[in-house]
Amino acid sequence: MKISRGTTAAVVAGAAAFALIATGCSSEAGADGEDIELTITTFGTFGYDDLYAQYEEENPGITINATNIDTGGNARTDAFTKLAAGSGLSDIVAVEEGWLGAIQEVSDQFVDLRDFGADDIKDRWVDWKLAQATDADGRIIGYGTDIGPTGLCYNGQLFEAAGMPSDREAVAELFGGDDATWERYFELGKQYYDATGKAWFDHSGFVWNSIVNQLDEGYYTADGELNVEGNAELKEAFLELSEAAQYGLSADQAAWDWGGGKAFVDGTFATFVCPGWMLGVVQGQVEAGGGDASTGWDFADVFPGGAGNWGGAFLTVPTTSDHQEEAAKLAAWLTAPEQQVAQFEAAGTFPSTLEAQEELAANPEPNEFFNDAPVGSILASRAEGVVAQFKGPDDSLIQENVFGPALRSIDEGTKNGEEAWDEAISLLNELVEQ
Amino acid sequence: MSSLTQRQRMSRLDVKISPYLYIAPFFILFALVGLFPLLYTFVVSLFDWHLLKGQGDFVGLANFTAILEDRFFWNSIFNTFSIFLLSAIPQLIAALVIAAVLDANIRAKTFWRMAVLLPYVVTPVAVSIIFSNLFGDDYGLINNLLQNFGLDPVAWHRDTFASHFAIATMVNWRWTGYNALILLAAMQAVPRELHESAAIDGAGAVRRFMSITIPSIRPTMIFVIITATIGGLQIFAEPRLFDPATAGGVGGSHRQFQTTVLYLWEMAFFRQNFGEAAAIAWLLFLIIVVIGFINFMLTRRIATGESAGPRRMFLRRRRRPREKQADKTLTTPGTIAEDVKL
Repeated sequence: MKISRGTTAAVVAGAAAFALIATGCSSEAGADGEDIELTITTFGTFGYDDLYAQYEEENPGITINATNIDTGGNARTDAFTKLAAGSGLSDIVAVEEGWLGAIQEVSDQFVDLRDFGADDIKDRWVDWKLAQATDADGRIIGYGTDIGPTGLCYNGQLFEAAGMPSDREAVAELFGGDDATWERYFELGKQYYDATGKAWFDHSGFVWNSIVNQLDEGYYTADGELNVEGNAELKEAFLELSEAAQYGLSADQAAWDWGGGKAFVDGTFATFVCPGWMLGVVQGQVEAGGGDASTGWDFADVFPGGAGNWGGAFLTVPTTSDHQEEAAKLAAWLTAPEQQVAQFEAAGTFPSTLEAQEELAANPEPNEFFNDAPVGSILASRAEGVVAQFKGPDDSLIQENVFGPALRSIDEGTKNGEEAWDEAISLLNELVEQ
Repeated sequence: MSSLTQRQRMSRLDVKISPYLYIAPFFILFALVGLFPLLYTFVVSLFDWHLLKGQGDFVGLANFTAILEDRFFWNSIFNTFSIFLLSAIPQLIAALVIAAVLDANIRAKTFWRMAVLLPYVVTPVAVSIIFSNLFGDDYGLINNLLQNFGLDPVAWHRDTFASHFAIATMVNWRWTGYNALILLAAMQAVPRELHESAAIDGAGAVRRFMSITIPSIRPTMIFVIITATIGGLQIFAEPRLFDPATAGGVGGSHRQFQTTVLYLWEMAFFRQNFGEAAAIAWLLFLIIVVIGFINFMLTRRIATGESAGPRRMFLRRRRRPREKQADKTLTTPGTIAEDVKL
């Protein structure tokens, strides 16, 4: 008796507290001229700062409190920690494609944006981007920001010194134009290595990511089954890459460090895989390493293995947000074609909406840093034929913790291709629940 | 009892309850932020618990057995102890020497004391960034210097021992001065007369340091060693930031410097297995308790076995009346041993 009374009291108290919070929120969210502060968490180079200021100006009463986390990996940890804790998430959280699979597992913790008008604007995006953001129950949990069509960054000066063409069109042709293959890429790398004794790419991990992202099915099948062990296509690609790395094509650099950017400046490697969002990273690294446009980096409309998408992000609204409607409105505005073009100009991230893509394709503005390359129209051309790949719940874990160490073994020269593949498989069985 | 007035009753209550109220804030805070997380972690460790999806089935001690059979756990224990030994031992020896030097009559005392504390003020993250630059494989300052002298560069991130050495250096840089100041405070409390009489008896500086200073600061030594043990076995920020490349919390390309807390982090936030991560946390807690206890016993023994400090003289003096009694009856070794333990 006593216990039940205590429980009842607790429930009543809890309900009362909840009601207080609820009313507190609804009065705050009301449009009676009260100020609303929206928090947003992004990562890497998002290029949103000017857009925030513009939105605040156009919407009196809204203040945007933005946080930008240095890398997608750290943003993932931040979001997962707060999801696990059940509180602390911003009103808008940017989610990267690589860990969207894990987020989809708990998609009920994110607002169904159809409640706030997603159906009216869903034709904006390329269809596969929208499909990625839609969960198993058909709820739309994210608005696509950018996609990652991948082109080839190369250092024209180094190419010239090795007796190769440095002109953008000639380079595209050299790699095989529309029929560019990884085989051809590695073959040219060996020529370059023989001529200069220097590496062709920075480290095997990024090349591997690009290769995997081009496959119809990556680490998971389209039905969500793990697809690594016994995957002949994947293994063949792995062995091809490891053979090239063993030849000396990999500079064995630590990604996201690159010796503080110096490896980009001192000619350690001559090519780099560049999804749209990576262009900002390259520029940042070159500048951190003491270089500038004269360092010689350029961007060619070609990619080994054809079209590929690596990365891209979504803006989501967690159910814990106190201002879901306002947050959804801001997310919709930030991902509208016009703002995506502005975002591209600020950070090089390639838009996921059709209209913005068409605009960039039609209006090729030269990018000073990349030797005046018309980056926008090149990326638009690289985006043609991109198909989305299903990303499973442990996709980023497999990328970082399973294939990461195996590829480092190859780069460091401690294992050959077969041994490194076996290492990856044993790590997979130990680390990933299946 | 009934003759007590209201006022007297209140005053009696005051005497009885007030002391508990005064110490209550600490214990309430401890229960909230210390004891509750500890017990909750234990509860989590008994379940299949996914980071995002939450609580699953009750699995008993299965998480603990899984961790004890996990080669990466033992690798992380090895790394943690290796880094701990490489940092704690040189650090304490250096701290003792620095404290002894500062305890001597030197010019500009405050300046030197502040100077040794300065590294402690810098956050570990900043320390890690600076040292990561020093210990860079291809572009690091130390390797550049080595190559200038025609020596082979050291693979600071790839080689297990080299990476442990680099991380231990960061820890030492940060904590040596802090420990030195604590030991210095203890040394200043050692009565000068002891040193003077020993000097008159012909004891040199080293002999006085070993036979008077060290035994006298034993309680402080125990404190410093225990806190160094707890901190050293929980090391996280330094190995985490020493490896900017892996977002996966692996600690080096092949877990060369993945410490136990780093492994816990990988388990919880990358492998999203909260249950096993909680089991790691508890195992680490137990290991720290055991190692802390062993260190406590060792410290006591070293300091007492070395020589007769002031504390021992005190004990001897106090024991004398009882010894006389014992002479008459039987010499019981038990009582003496008990006294020594005091």
